[in-house]
Amino acid sequence: MVVAILLGIFFGFALYFVGAGNNATVLDMLRLRNMRLGKIIFFAIGLAAFLAGLAASLGLLSIDHFKIKPLHAGVIIGALIFGVGFGLIGRCPGTCPVAMGAGTIRRGLVAILGGLLGALCYSLVYGSIAATGLFEQLNAGAITLFQVKDGLPSLLAIPHWGLALMGGLFMGAAYLMPMEIRKPRR
Amino acid sequence: MKDKWLLQAVVLGLAFFLAILAWKPIGVSTQFSVISGKAHRLIHDVVKPEPLIVSDGEAKHGYRSTNAYYDRSGGKLAGAIVGFEKDLAFFLSIFIGSSLGALLMSGKSRASLSDLKRKMSMAEISRSFIAGFLLLFGARLAGGCTSGHMMSGMMQSSISGFVFAALVFAVAIPVAIGGEKKWS
Repeated sequence: MVVAILLGIFFGFALYFVGAGNNATVLDMLRLRNMRLGKIIFFAIGLAAFLAGLAASLGLLSIDHFKIKPLHAGVIIGALIFGVGFGLIGRCPGTCPVAMGAGTIRRGLVAILGGLLGALCYSLVYGSIAATGLFEQLNAGAITLFQVKDGLPSLLAIPHWGLALMGGLFMGAAYLMPMEIRKPRR
Repeated sequence: MKDKWLLQAVVLGLAFFLAILAWKPIGVSTQFSVISGKAHRLIHDVVKPEPLIVSDGEAKHGYRSTNAYYDRSGGKLAGAIVGFEKDLAFFLSIFIGSSLGALLMSGKSRASLSDLKRKMSMAEISRSFIAGFLLLFGARLAGGCTSGHMMSGMMQSSISGFVFAALVFAVAIPVAIGGEKKWS
């Protein structure tokens, strides 16, 4: 429990620190005006992958800790719906509590309330959606690029060092990503 | 500003790595299902004769529910709704962490956030609410959000994570650009 709380505090701090709680920053990235946050996100994923791959190869990270989400049609449709919300306000579920802690309480709160209703509606209609067989469509299981967990399918028969390599490539790509794609307006 | 991005990226990356090292990959959207589930249960058990969630020793997570979503995986969500799990503590702690950040950090970054403390118009309120709805409905349908699918997923090389991220940005970018002049 203490670990969960400490991690939550660190995560909240990290999101604030990178500016993800500021929806103007996120929208600037989505509008391709200022890619700073995009570089940060990409680099962070790369670093995390690099460290996870390295740690797992060295036996320091327990394979049990890897949790892979399955790919199915719901991921695709859900992502499209999510994208609309994301593009509208430049916030995601994780950054809403950050917005609340950072002073923009009202905006974060309203989005959270909408989110709670959205989650509830989903819980209520899930049974009907599942009955249509949607989740069986395009279902590739909990598939990964590299062989990170026994018993789970992977596209490549390369274990954790591959993950570390991918992480390195992501960090490099993040570094090379331009700061601006469209000229900034201000 | 430009020099600092690398430091910020390292801090964010460390957060995701430390989570999987010490506990499990970070995810946030499930907690919205848990919290709304708690409210749902409260109201349901008042107006309906049978409880929404009951204990079931034979279920994998010890609970059974008349709601198919809460009942999944042997009552995994049901258990989270009934109890107070670490995941919820994690979620609530995000608010503490960002408040701490706001207190400790001074100068320009703090000032730019307080500018946004002005009143919200009806249009802004509806937009925030609807967007929040779409974010969570979409996230739950996909099985995760930008934290769970994009960051945690991609860092494990999860294909669903890559697919989720690609589609989210494919939609969010035109939507954001489309709204650029109309709203900020």
